[in-house]
Amino acid sequence: MTTITGQLSAAPEHIARRPNLLRQMWMSRADYLYVLPAIVVMLVVIAYPIYYTIDLSFFKTPPGLQLRDKIFIGTENYSAILSSSVFWKVTLNTVIWTLASTLIAFVLGFGAALALHRDFAGRAILRAVLIIPWVISAVAASYIWKWIYHSDFGVLGAVMVQLGFLDRQPNFIDNVNSVLPSLIVVNIWREFPFAMIMLMAGLQTVPEQLLRAAKVDGASTWQRFWHVTFPHLRGVSTVTILLLAVANFNSFIIPWIMTGGGPSNASHIWITHIYELAFGRQRWGVAAAYSVLLFIIMMVLGYFYVRALSGNESKEHGA
Amino acid sequence: MAQVVLKDLVKTYGSVYAAKDVSLTVNDGEFVALVGPSGCGKTTTLNLVAGLIPITSGDIVIGDRVVNDLDPKDRDIAMVFQNYALYPQKTVFQNLAFPLQMRKLPKAEIEAKVREAARVLDITHLLERRPRELSGGQQQRVALGRALVRDPAVFLMDEPLSNLDAKLRVQMRSEIKRFHQDLKATIIYVTHDQLEAVTMADKMAVMNGGLLQQYDSPANVFANPVNMFVASFIGSPAMSLVPLEVGSVDGHTVLKSAEGWTLPLSERNARKVATASSRKVVLGARHSTINLHKTQVDGTVPAKVYTVEPTGDITFVQAFLAGSIVNISLPPTVHVAPDEMVWLEFDQDRIHLFDGETEMALRAD
Repeated sequence: MTTITGQLSAAPEHIARRPNLLRQMWMSRADYLYVLPAIVVMLVVIAYPIYYTIDLSFFKTPPGLQLRDKIFIGTENYSAILSSSVFWKVTLNTVIWTLASTLIAFVLGFGAALALHRDFAGRAILRAVLIIPWVISAVAASYIWKWIYHSDFGVLGAVMVQLGFLDRQPNFIDNVNSVLPSLIVVNIWREFPFAMIMLMAGLQTVPEQLLRAAKVDGASTWQRFWHVTFPHLRGVSTVTILLLAVANFNSFIIPWIMTGGGPSNASHIWITHIYELAFGRQRWGVAAAYSVLLFIIMMVLGYFYVRALSGNESKEHGA
Repeated sequence: MAQVVLKDLVKTYGSVYAAKDVSLTVNDGEFVALVGPSGCGKTTTLNLVAGLIPITSGDIVIGDRVVNDLDPKDRDIAMVFQNYALYPQKTVFQNLAFPLQMRKLPKAEIEAKVREAARVLDITHLLERRPRELSGGQQQRVALGRALVRDPAVFLMDEPLSNLDAKLRVQMRSEIKRFHQDLKATIIYVTHDQLEAVTMADKMAVMNGGLLQQYDSPANVFANPVNMFVASFIGSPAMSLVPLEVGSVDGHTVLKSAEGWTLPLSERNARKVATASSRKVVLGARHSTINLHKTQVDGTVPAKVYTVEPTGDITFVQAFLAGSIVNISLPPTVHVAPDEMVWLEFDQDRIHLFDGETEMALRAD
């Protein structure tokens, strides 16, 4: 595997191989025929929408006009977006949302994985319970959390008042300052089991002999974790964090159902904002331009994801 | 360095005995091999000495301390593992330094000790590499080095050569033997390969089913196996074991086969079979002590050739004798063919006789 990639990445050989590649494709044409239906479907549902979105982002689409009468305005949508204050507000929200959700979910998941890696009575039950947030419907969970946070009837506020932490029911999601953190809590609650499962799987691959060697060498529990377990989990941690980051960047259900981006854009993140621009206000051109920007950012993240994955692989091959 | 004493060591998992009443003394500077088939309790015993698993009962004494309840790090031991167990993210230097760092030694002292160990094991040029950049033999030397820097009372080695290819294994075998001679180290060495045990160890402890079968020098274990298990486990090819019955012809004790032939016994061997608990006796003979004749002569028994395996300087022949397979070694100049009838002559002074019921070796006195 590695030698082949190595050869392909060398530029002169790559060019020299071009006609060869076409011939190879022709020789295995039957194989391409078999995947042709899938390719056609992919072109229709993925490639064409991407093209159409990019195309649309250069047009103005006033609500009174039919879509086919859209007006070409060049990059005006992009400059309008980049100079608007809402854009920066939403971007900041997205960054906070993504970073906080990803990192805290990862840390919590790591802790849970470590706790569940030890053998104790009721471990299987606890593991099953902790996975629940991840397996139930996000829509249902969002509605339930909306009630838990409710400013008049919410159980969370009521408990806090009962316990004497607060004088009156707080506004979790009707307040511009607390709405985003409140939603992040829900998102973390929903996502940490994913990190937990990934890291539990990783923990099972830590070589027992290495831990024993470290024990004989005099390492304490914490030192064994730091010198053996943690380095071993670096690969799976990278992948987990990237997957979480991509998922969080693309979150929609929780913020849309719980707040719809409000109050006054305080909980809008990119996806909800784009959705509202397109399907709420019919500003297709602007929404398309937003989508293209988001697409570029996602491709960059995706690049790092693939590199992290293949990095792990080549390490294993080298060993 | 120190001596290690195991007293009635027991380890149970539920109702299963992984080690049962294992008692042995490893003298200061001795190389002892724990040998036996998979699941015989040898690795369990080593892990008990290391403190990696708690003992059920009994005592472990290292030097003059009972270490039953001490952590591995406080037992003054170092361990070498089957797959080397090097820390993959650390360089060779960091791997060697790790146990010393855990003991919070000053940096200069760590540096000096690591360099010294690297010099002894000839791995100085590898110090900046990572384990995955090393060959199996080099990794094993680093693993030895990590044990060596500790200057422990006892080295525990858990099948350290079984991950190496055959050629490298032979080379590392002599290196470890040399390592032991130079350091006068006390070493407990676990292996399933009886050849490793025989060639390296001062003493070998043969284990089976959690029980210590025999603990003696390799030469004594080879010459006087205490039971059929040890007899068949030590030596390659294995000792041939032929179940027979005791009988008597003209007042002389003989061994009788179901096929009808009889094998007269010497007076000393007759005394041995007289102590058997029943008429069932098992005849044991190593391949090199059996003479093969192409024609019938006095005192020989008939057998039929099964396979012939030439190896160059020795040809190994397997033959059916009274329903059992017997291994015989021949000089390459003697040619026999499969299914050929041959006559076997046993050396009365070098055969082994075992009780057919208890499987224990029969003694003359």
